[in-house]
Amino acid sequence: MTTALVLLVIVPLAATVACVWLPLRAAQAATLASGLVSLGLVLTLLWAPGQSVEAGWLMVDPLSLVFLLAVGFLYPAVAAYSIGYLADEANAAAAAGPQAQADFERYARRFSLGLNAFAWAMLCAPAVNGLALLWVAIEVTTVISALLVAIDATDGATEAAWKYVLIASSGLGIGLLATVFMYYAGAQVLGQSYDLAFAPLLQHAAQLPATPVRLAFVLAVLGFGTKVGLFPVHTWLPDAHSEAPSPVSALLSGALLVVSFYAILRYLQVAQLTLGAQFPHDVLLIFGVASLALAALYLLDQRDLKRLLAYSSVEHMGILAIGVGFGAPMAAAGVLLHVLGHAAAKGNAFMGAGVLVRRFGTKDLHRLRGGLDALRWTGPLLLLAVLALSGMPPFALFRSEFQIVVGGFTTSAWAAAALVGLVVIAFAGLAGSITSVLFRPRVAADDQDEVAAMSRAGSGWMLAPVIAGVVVLIVLGVHPPAVLSDLLARGAAELTGGQ
Amino acid sequence: MNLVLPLPLVQALQVLTIALGAPLVTGVIATAEGRLQGRRGPRLLQPYHDLAKLFGKESLAPTASGLFFVVAPFLALGCYLTVPLLIPVLTSYPLPLGDMGDILGGSFILSLGSFVVAVAAAETGDPYAQLGSSRSKTFGAITEPVMLLVVFTVAIVTGTDLPYVLGATVRSGPDQIVRPAHLLVSAALFMVILFETGRIPVEAHGSTTELGMIEEARTFEHSGPFLAALRWGSWVKQLVLFTIFLNVFVAPWGMSASARLGDVTLAMVALLAKALVLGLVIAVIDTSFAKLRLFKITEFVAAAFLLAVLGLFTLYLGGG
Amino acid sequence: MTDVTQSVPGLYDGVASSIAVVVLLLEFLMLRAAMLRAQVRLYAVQSFAVSLLAVAVAYGRDVPELYVLAALSFLLKAVAVPAVLLRLMRNADAEIAGSGVLGVASEVLVSIVVAGVGFFLVGQLGIESDVLPSAALSLSVAVVLVAFVLMIMRRDVVSQAVGFFSLENGVSLASLVVAAGMPLILEVAFLFDLLVAVVVFGVLMRLHHARTQSLSTEMLTRLRG
Repeated sequence: MTTALVLLVIVPLAATVACVWLPLRAAQAATLASGLVSLGLVLTLLWAPGQSVEAGWLMVDPLSLVFLLAVGFLYPAVAAYSIGYLADEANAAAAAGPQAQADFERYARRFSLGLNAFAWAMLCAPAVNGLALLWVAIEVTTVISALLVAIDATDGATEAAWKYVLIASSGLGIGLLATVFMYYAGAQVLGQSYDLAFAPLLQHAAQLPATPVRLAFVLAVLGFGTKVGLFPVHTWLPDAHSEAPSPVSALLSGALLVVSFYAILRYLQVAQLTLGAQFPHDVLLIFGVASLALAALYLLDQRDLKRLLAYSSVEHMGILAIGVGFGAPMAAAGVLLHVLGHAAAKGNAFMGAGVLVRRFGTKDLHRLRGGLDALRWTGPLLLLAVLALSGMPPFALFRSEFQIVVGGFTTSAWAAAALVGLVVIAFAGLAGSITSVLFRPRVAADDQDEVAAMSRAGSGWMLAPVIAGVVVLIVLGVHPPAVLSDLLARGAAELTGGQ
Repeated sequence: MNLVLPLPLVQALQVLTIALGAPLVTGVIATAEGRLQGRRGPRLLQPYHDLAKLFGKESLAPTASGLFFVVAPFLALGCYLTVPLLIPVLTSYPLPLGDMGDILGGSFILSLGSFVVAVAAAETGDPYAQLGSSRSKTFGAITEPVMLLVVFTVAIVTGTDLPYVLGATVRSGPDQIVRPAHLLVSAALFMVILFETGRIPVEAHGSTTELGMIEEARTFEHSGPFLAALRWGSWVKQLVLFTIFLNVFVAPWGMSASARLGDVTLAMVALLAKALVLGLVIAVIDTSFAKLRLFKITEFVAAAFLLAVLGLFTLYLGGG
Repeated sequence: MTDVTQSVPGLYDGVASSIAVVVLLLEFLMLRAAMLRAQVRLYAVQSFAVSLLAVAVAYGRDVPELYVLAALSFLLKAVAVPAVLLRLMRNADAEIAGSGVLGVASEVLVSIVVAGVGFFLVGQLGIESDVLPSAALSLSVAVVLVAFVLMIMRRDVVSQAVGFFSLENGVSLASLVVAAGMPLILEVAFLFDLLVAVVVFGVLMRLHHARTQSLSTEMLTRLRG
């Protein structure tokens, strides 16, 4: 099991390095292979005996394994999807001449390189043992993903990448401050010169001085919350998600946000042992409800398809924060399931939206029409993804939101009621926009300029991961495998302090 | 040399030292500036000659002006010469009249002096003189809070705002000198002094361009003995500020601990020497920086304000 | 004469807090500096001051690891990062001065208020460190807050980047106060992270300059809603 853990951080790194030299097709194959191997390794860890697997600086326990699963699923999915995504551009470049072809080669190579590095950093973050290394890994995800957001080098991408890197890095500066204060708190008990590993910190959490821990927790929610996309520090999120290439958007939304959320959970674990559950839970509830409310309002009136999905991410991060804030074990298990479901659903939604945007050449919701007729496969799949995101049965997010709400009514009824109300509003916004995109017939005048774009074929590479995502959503929604339910229960127990 | 002077005499000597030493300090700065700029510069004792010459001239007053115009220069000089009674000029122990006023009192008397000059200038009806007085009061309104913050900080450090006590505190050890509060406040005070004495980067000293003038413009309409009194007053004010800066904040050493004639004489020499060194520093600043545009002076004062506020912050909230 | 109301900090504490004050003052100077190059140089000086403080702590509190950290952070933050930034600006010979939203005096006043709030809050916390005086912690939080003001008020990519890097300096200062004993390997990891961030900031700044022929962020208003 230790080997699997070590391999998990070596394989994507090796793939990154390989992408520097390998020819393009081989690099793409290596990316996909690395993704599948990583997924396999994460699944292997699922059957690890005992509470945690440790190897040097690495440590995986049920809580971090949930987040590894989310990343491990999206990595190969996006790797496969981008083969199809780049194939379109390859054809266009081949037609445009050798110069364009060379440009495309360089672009595609950077793309694969970035994808692997990004996945590597996101796999490292939940796998490292200790708050300090966790911060380092998350900062690495920021800088790599900023480059990926900017990779198209359009005006919009440049602007989004700059805002993203500036806001997220500043937020992580606050996160570093949180790390430093947590270190200070720990040093009072564990002595100077310790490495902020989770186990000793949790073991002595009850004796830590309250003030620095309280400070560290608030700073962590604010700092890492910047990358999670919690209100009021979410401002970079819609820009980055909408301007990044669609495969990158899928990774950003499905994996990156929740990996940062994982960091907050680690601080929460310590804080609720030191301070009692009330204060940290209230903080999370406030941030969660505010984010959810903001997202619900923005979802109602949105013109841009990818921004719509981005605000849906803010919504779901709000749900996660609220779910954890409830503090009930059932809600906590729901949150962990929600992480997995959201990864699959949002990945699907962005990948489907990517095809749609490609075909119609616009992201404007008012000009996207008749998607269901134009895209025989992607149309229905996108519809399923949106239904899943809206919390419809039989998908995983229905089960998880149900658990969260039921758990919530036992502890904090006002927040649970707010959650239900706001989710309904968000559903109206999301479903309203998407159904008009898919069902409303095309306006004749628009047809002319989009015929050329229509001729491009969506490829099987872009479909396979979406179908896999739907399967996962249904399986998790209808009947999660026993090993996974067990994992979620153990993770939830970890999160709620083993009540 | 072991003759013990009566304390009132020492106090009188404080005033005399300031009054008679002030022109010398001004002369040294002017000469040093000249040398630094590659000129020969005026003679060291030129200010004394100026005073003698001006006192011998006839004086004219604008027809519109009243009695106050005539009285003001001497009133101002009197104000400035009152302050040396209150501050440690020669002795490190308080003299009989020393507790009449604290730092705040001292700076109020200094402000009163400059207020009197400004009013007299405003009375003349001359546009330049009025411009100078309105400007000096405008900017004075911003420097005043800085001065107050400096005083507050001193008060927190020492528990009193008597200048003698702060000097003693600073002398008590190096840990009192490297306190951030002390350093910041000293720097703020230095900037205020640059402003109050009309030095670069606030004002080009002795320049003849009316539009950039602040302090200088106020003396335009005075002549003869009145002008002499004004000039002298501004030099005295400069040396008084230097003395406060040196003997209270930065270098409260070389002062007499007794009333013996030898010690007091030594203290006089030491004070003048310190003031001359400070004067040289200011001469260097004068020649190496450019004058700020008039509207940038608020930024200069804002910087001084920042230093003083930070000093107070570190002391009051940070325990530094 | 010795009726001193406050407990007088020792010589070491005084020196340390004074260096911390210098760090904060440099942050204010960055806010005032109109010239972009001047700003980068001020950042270099600030990093030097932070390294100096690390040396002071290493010497005064006998933490030999901090010598290594001081050397590394000096090389990286006072030499390498400013060099990279200046080089970028040489290649992108667009503007030499940035612009702020408010006038300098108002910016300084806003920052004074913000820094005061920081001082006040940290003072309320009552966190004591046995390595450095608690004034240094207040100062470091003030540096972080003023760095935020800098990033918000200035409208060009160089100032904003410098704002972020100096924010990191503030955090380094805080970590010297409360986490001086942190294992060297972690500190080095933080520094390495900063290096990566600098490279990425540099790449994005160049991209921005290539797209807009300018270092200003005034036109970055396309994305909203």
